[in-house]
Amino acid sequence: MSTTISTPLPVTETRPLALPSMGSVYSALLRADLTTQWRNRRSSLMVILIPVIILISWKGLVDKFGGAFALSNCITVGLTAVGLMGYSNSVARDRDKGIFQRLRVAPASNWAIMASRLTVQLIMITIMTIVIFIVGYKFDNITMPASGYIIGFFAALIGGAVYLSLGQVIVGLIKNPETVNATTRLVYFAFIMIGMFGEFGMLGKEIGNITKYSPYGTVKAIVSGGLTPTIWTTDTTTALMVTLGYTAVFTFLGVRWFRWSTR
Amino acid sequence: MLTRFYRLSPTFYRYSPQNDRLPLGKGNPTPYLSNMNTPTNQPALQVSGLNVNYGSFKAVQQVSFEVQPGEIFGLLGPNGAGKTSTLSAVEGLIKPASGTIRVAGYDNKQHPLHARACMGVQLQATSFQPELTITGIIRLFAGIYGVSLSNDRILSVLEDIKLQDAAAKRFGQLSGGQQQRVSLVIATIHQPQLVLLDEPTTGLDPQSRRQLWERIEAMRDRGHGILLTTHSMEEAESVCDRIAIIDHGQIITIGTPQTIVDDNRELDAVIRASRKGRITLEDVFIGLTGTAVRE
Repeated sequence: MSTTISTPLPVTETRPLALPSMGSVYSALLRADLTTQWRNRRSSLMVILIPVIILISWKGLVDKFGGAFALSNCITVGLTAVGLMGYSNSVARDRDKGIFQRLRVAPASNWAIMASRLTVQLIMITIMTIVIFIVGYKFDNITMPASGYIIGFFAALIGGAVYLSLGQVIVGLIKNPETVNATTRLVYFAFIMIGMFGEFGMLGKEIGNITKYSPYGTVKAIVSGGLTPTIWTTDTTTALMVTLGYTAVFTFLGVRWFRWSTR
Repeated sequence: MLTRFYRLSPTFYRYSPQNDRLPLGKGNPTPYLSNMNTPTNQPALQVSGLNVNYGSFKAVQQVSFEVQPGEIFGLLGPNGAGKTSTLSAVEGLIKPASGTIRVAGYDNKQHPLHARACMGVQLQATSFQPELTITGIIRLFAGIYGVSLSNDRILSVLEDIKLQDAAAKRFGQLSGGQQQRVSLVIATIHQPQLVLLDEPTTGLDPQSRRQLWERIEAMRDRGHGILLTTHSMEEAESVCDRIAIIDHGQIITIGTPQTIVDDNRELDAVIRASRKGRITLEDVFIGLTGTAVRE
């Protein structure tokens, strides 16, 4: 529901006050956030490029470990980048610049502002996952059953929620955008290195077990399980439960600690 | 905890003849306010008994004032006096310890979205997404306020502020004066009853400042109630119909600029502050708030 401005009315005249509809507010915010994302497409490209490069370079490992292993690892790396670097850095920057405060003095509800941000990241996750599937097929000859692609895609969305909520925790704990940037890079690097080397058993059995139940390990497990639904095991179900648990805890803490202003 | 995110989840209200605002029932198929009139006999802003605390520090104490439609009301005070805290409470950015704030009749605690829909805000340090063009920013806020603007209408809005050539520019590419004009357009795009201007002319050259004053006066003539904070006594005297001087979180005096000067010209502190042989508003301000520099 919206009104059309023609000539300005004297504000003392009686006139209807129509609150903007939720849809109009959300779509206005989403359009702006998508424009922002599009104008930052180079950094968005990097988020996709890293897992793609890993996937192409792992061509030799596909025969040994399987296509699901390669795809799930690369998707997990991409999800980590989207949640930790894309989401948290954009929130930290806009909070620091006072962009959120400007939106919050307008009739834009807090949930609409955040929902729009999260929608953009879900779109990024979707694009990244589809690109990984295509690159896996084209360059590494990885093929999965249709159900595998579909369940794997939804598993990626669930996995993405862990990293988005972890990004929320980071912007909840840290106010300075530069520190947020440095922290997310560090966490990203740690997740990739420990996650991957732990997966390969190169860091010992103990670290391997820890990795298995870390956000990296559980997300990788559910994406891998989703890609090959016929061999979904109780371990995969446990990984799904742990993933949902991580998401709930990180969301709780992230929302609790988050402040809209750095001042 | 989740209420921080969800406390503004929309609840819709309708206007009743008794001037009460009743929540629409769940079964009501029209979740909008198309049948609600904005009362015209209400002040644009009513603040009463406002208290804002930061921990044990009392930033605002028992502040009360009103801004009428078609009035420019200036809030003056030294740094840290409580101006921004008062304004932030009106904007809904901070939660007051006590007191009531009504914007065009809407209590900003009970009906925050309605209160915000009735006000336009120009923040002290306005910032928009640097990736958006001026057109994009106007479109964003028009969408948030539920105003549909055609491309032609946006162009005519930009022509009105002499920025038609800047439609495709980013906000950061504009000069300070141009940025203030864009901010003012966005603050008034939905024709709000109340416009809040937080030090709008800071950093502007005299020409831009004069131009902005004219725009603010034009807004007053159209019936907007305007609450303006400023450090410029010249600005307060030139454009404000009434002013309040606030210090240590409390309003010291309130009235027209001339009344305030007349009522305080005999005070020793004011006479001591006088520099030009005549008492100005600045002398009264210094006399009432002291000569010590505030951090």
